[in-house]
Amino acid sequence: MFESVLVANRGEIALRVIRTCRRLGVRSVAVFTDLDASAPHVREADDAVRVPSYLDVDAVVQAALDTGAEAVHPGYGFLSERSPFARALEKAGVVLVGPSADVMDAMGRKDAAREIAVGAGVPVVPRGEDAGFPILVKAAAGGGGKGMRIVRSAGEHDEAVAAARREALSAFGDDTILVEKYVERGRHIEVQVLADTHGSVLHLFERDCSTQRRHQKVLEEAPAPTIDAGQREAITSAAVALARQVGYTNAGTVEFLLDESSGEFYFLEMNTRLQVEHPVTELVALVAGRSLDLVEHQLRVAAGEPLSFTQDDVVLTGHAIEARIYAEDSFGGFLPQAGRAEIVRWSPHARNDHALEDGQVISTSYDPMLGKVIVHGETREAARQALVRALDETAVLGLTTNTGFLRALVASDEFRDATIHTAWLDHEGAGRIEAPTDDVPRTLAAWVDGAVLTGGDPHPFQLDGWRHGGTPAPVVVDLDRAVTVVRDGAGRGTVDGVPVAQVSAAYHKVVAFVDGRREEAVVNSGAHGVEVVHRGQRFVFTRPDPFADPAAAAGDGTLLAPMPGTVLDVRVAEGQQVAEGDVLGVMEAMKMELSLKAPVAGTVTVVGAAAGDQVALGATLFVVTADLSEPETAPTGSPSDNSAAGGPHA
Amino acid sequence: MAEEMKLLVDELRERLAVARQGGSESARRKHLDRGKLLVRDRVDRLLDPGSPFLELSPLAATGMYGDPDGPDTVPSAGIVTGIGRVSGRECVVVANDATVKGGTYYPVTVKKHLRAQEVARVNRLPCLYLVDSGGAFLPMQDDVFPDKEHFGRIFFNQANLSAQGIPQIAAVMGSCTAGGAYVPAMSDESVIVKEQGTIFLGGPPLVKAATGEVVTAEDLGGGDVHARKSGVVDHLADDDAHALRIVRSIVDTFGRDMVSTSSTTAGGGSATGGVGATPAVPEEPLEDPEGLYDVVPTDSRTPYDVREVIRRVVDASRFHEFKALYGETLVCGFARIWGHDVGIVANNGILFSESSLKGAHFIELCNQRGIPLVFLQNITGFMVGRKYENGGIARDGAKLVTAVACSVVPKFTVVIGGSFGAGNYGMCGRAFDPRFLWMWPNARISVMGGEQAASVLATVRRDGLEARGEDWSTDDEEAFKAPIREQYEHQGSPYYSTARLWDDGVIDPVDTRRVLGMGLAAAAHAPVPEPSYGVFRM
Repeated sequence: MFESVLVANRGEIALRVIRTCRRLGVRSVAVFTDLDASAPHVREADDAVRVPSYLDVDAVVQAALDTGAEAVHPGYGFLSERSPFARALEKAGVVLVGPSADVMDAMGRKDAAREIAVGAGVPVVPRGEDAGFPILVKAAAGGGGKGMRIVRSAGEHDEAVAAARREALSAFGDDTILVEKYVERGRHIEVQVLADTHGSVLHLFERDCSTQRRHQKVLEEAPAPTIDAGQREAITSAAVALARQVGYTNAGTVEFLLDESSGEFYFLEMNTRLQVEHPVTELVALVAGRSLDLVEHQLRVAAGEPLSFTQDDVVLTGHAIEARIYAEDSFGGFLPQAGRAEIVRWSPHARNDHALEDGQVISTSYDPMLGKVIVHGETREAARQALVRALDETAVLGLTTNTGFLRALVASDEFRDATIHTAWLDHEGAGRIEAPTDDVPRTLAAWVDGAVLTGGDPHPFQLDGWRHGGTPAPVVVDLDRAVTVVRDGAGRGTVDGVPVAQVSAAYHKVVAFVDGRREEAVVNSGAHGVEVVHRGQRFVFTRPDPFADPAAAAGDGTLLAPMPGTVLDVRVAEGQQVAEGDVLGVMEAMKMELSLKAPVAGTVTVVGAAAGDQVALGATLFVVTADLSEPETAPTGSPSDNSAAGGPHA
Repeated sequence: MAEEMKLLVDELRERLAVARQGGSESARRKHLDRGKLLVRDRVDRLLDPGSPFLELSPLAATGMYGDPDGPDTVPSAGIVTGIGRVSGRECVVVANDATVKGGTYYPVTVKKHLRAQEVARVNRLPCLYLVDSGGAFLPMQDDVFPDKEHFGRIFFNQANLSAQGIPQIAAVMGSCTAGGAYVPAMSDESVIVKEQGTIFLGGPPLVKAATGEVVTAEDLGGGDVHARKSGVVDHLADDDAHALRIVRSIVDTFGRDMVSTSSTTAGGGSATGGVGATPAVPEEPLEDPEGLYDVVPTDSRTPYDVREVIRRVVDASRFHEFKALYGETLVCGFARIWGHDVGIVANNGILFSESSLKGAHFIELCNQRGIPLVFLQNITGFMVGRKYENGGIARDGAKLVTAVACSVVPKFTVVIGGSFGAGNYGMCGRAFDPRFLWMWPNARISVMGGEQAASVLATVRRDGLEARGEDWSTDDEEAFKAPIREQYEHQGSPYYSTARLWDDGVIDPVDTRRVLGMGLAAAAHAPVPEPSYGVFRM
């Protein structure tokens, strides 16, 4: 075994690797960028070296040399599948915990990988005229869906191919077309393989990662819930055959597409590294009744040790599911989120692989994944219910995460019935998972806020609502609206008339019966409002700011000349729609240019001046009549991939 | 005993509940339909969430106006006043109730408004005015408008309070007509609710009568006019709730040192180091205050030990009694209430020379140490008779009265039984400027008891009749005395007193500790000067 290993990664996976190193008595070396100088993985490691970027091959290799690290564990993402990095390490005499550079190259090129698969007798997605319908017609040079056509019958074929060629030619200057089988409802099945340098190749069964959004995995589980023993045998054997064929060493994953309608599976690609979702395999693939530590076996294989168990020793036990927590607003167009994670709570009933602490700043510079919640159960249903509970107990305050979405997704009938295929979230399932209502969160927010606001030392003016010879005044808390809280001394009361009975409240966590149902939430009451995470979903109730919008207090869409002067520019015409704050025109007065902004959203009904006009103080320049209906504000667009690692983490 | 006191407290709660409703149901509905909050809801929303409210004289004007047998025409005198916390500091709130005769000022309304300003002045508390009033109640203008302690005094006070650095803030949430217009205009900072608040010296009908100009109330003096054109107000609010939030925000801008908050009061700027000392940690009495219902007889003629009351009011029921063996009819001693040091002076029988001297001594002691005084008043008077007059009880009583009158420490009086004759003076009656004076529902107040008054007057009459050689039958004498007794019975009631603002409210005995605590906390805002006294007659 190595004495010292450099971990060329950050976040949860770096922590994950460092902890195994510690358990094995291996000295760990972290690398970090300036942004991460105080990150958990830096503190956790025995040694740490600053690098300009996690993608800087020379700097990382030099860090390994400088710290005497004998090996580098690349984690996932970043340099983990870059063969130049593997070669640079080899040249420097440092071991990469992973396969050889040549294998990386072979598997990194789709066509080469496909040929190797064919050579190993592994089924690949049929191409050409024999694919059978439906087929996918796409530009060979393409990407981004341009020139792509799904053809479901022979009658559509010729016209679709012609259209695809036209689009391909105009988009890429090349009208070469590829035709391959299109799988309408596919499941993503992947097999974990592990191979040593002594010729032993085995699999640790499969994972199902069909719950995806835009090719980003959302939920992963092991074993796959929809395949039978025969399919399992076929698919795991194919993976082992492929790994053998390519001379694979260390841990890797062979990905397949399973056609739900036919039960056929096809090789997609091989990932030559540890996967984000490897924990579900660790929890279900037991050897001698104990769960595996894949990182340990990676290190042992890299150190030249033979695998200490055989295929027959690996027993599939129970079911595991992983949910990925992302900094994104799933119910608000899946927009990426950034900010300070003020309060972070992980479930005590789950394995939580994360590197997120209270107060940590989440920037958009790195992957938005904050951590993973992994549960194990005797059956899939037991695991699923455990995951619902674990996500209920997971809370990140300060920025919005997808936890509430995950919770609702895991609780859905579709996930329960394992009918979510790879395109479901993007197509028929889009919008099916509904945003939870804010009623219970508001109730709990007000309940806690009332207690926080009225707390304090005993004082004759203590905030107990005392009134002369009458019942105490209720506490009215200002959230997004005024909410009336009545509390008796025994933790019971009402919130806007809804009965609440508190079970416990400590360290921001409140457990209470709301209208007879047990609810729990993590609540943070502050000067500007109250933040609540309930069932994983974050709600922010902002207190009204009496000075937020003095213009609105005027309630008038009339813009008068604030000084005598000259109109320089008029940018709108009568009848035009404007948003609040839009510049309607510009005037010059007292040598200053003033932008005249729309005080309200609405329609411009009066334009009282033209460019070049001299206007008197108080002249009516514009009148905007407010629209009765609210403008459409639903955010659209996709989460941009700001990950420095690039590409999805598979 | 307990049952009787509870019945009296039930009656009090009932009266308070009725008064709290404000005007008639139709008036309230009309008010709400305009999008306005009812006055006590305004106060609740102005105060910090959960703030207590030490309402002053909520039963003012009881039975004074309109049909004496019907429901009260002017509940709470049409104005809500009191002390509560706003943005973490104690403030005086003065809020008109527009559902009561349009919020117009009856004579007692003026008195109540002025009393609130006095409370603000002596305790150095900011004033927050929630204005919604049609001005003086015109049919009674002679009792409202011209005199020294009439309407004009409100504005005199605003100017002088502001001059003393006591903030004056107004929110105009309805009419603010004629003299009323000066409430916002005289304020340091003001808010108006748009399309709701109006401010003008003369309303549209008066303008039309005077000049023939026809103008709407909104164009004459609406929120937009005053916020944009006239500059009479400083902030324009969307609605009541918004206006109240702006007022809360204004209070939050008062410098921390302008008026020290009760929680941080230290020294209070007092040269004597008096009242402002940081209070100790409050301790609940060991004996349940509910026991007050049992230990206090409702008939003021029945004697009991006043220490039973003290034990149920003071912190940890701890009482350091002074001169327990001397002048036993006046109990004096030190204790704490809500952590504040206090000197307690409590009647335990009639006042004799010794008890008067003891009281004067103790009051000097408290002034020397800067310790506030709490008077628990249950007094039929000073002892009468030749022995006592010849012994100079008037001279010793005068010492007590002088000591009370010249006290510089805050004084608080609770009338827990009778308040008769010169005993009222020696025990810090209203004329002796206690910071607050409260009455229990069993209290009685008059120059002497009804029976004594009837007897005195009957004796005078009998002497006159007999001098003329006429005869006066016992029946006739009884018929003569009955209406006198009745008058004293009627006027001696705490509700008769509180209606006329002879006190700051009738309280549930169980609340004595709490209201005293609030009074002490409020009083701690103001510095205490050096004590000095008039000539003590030796």
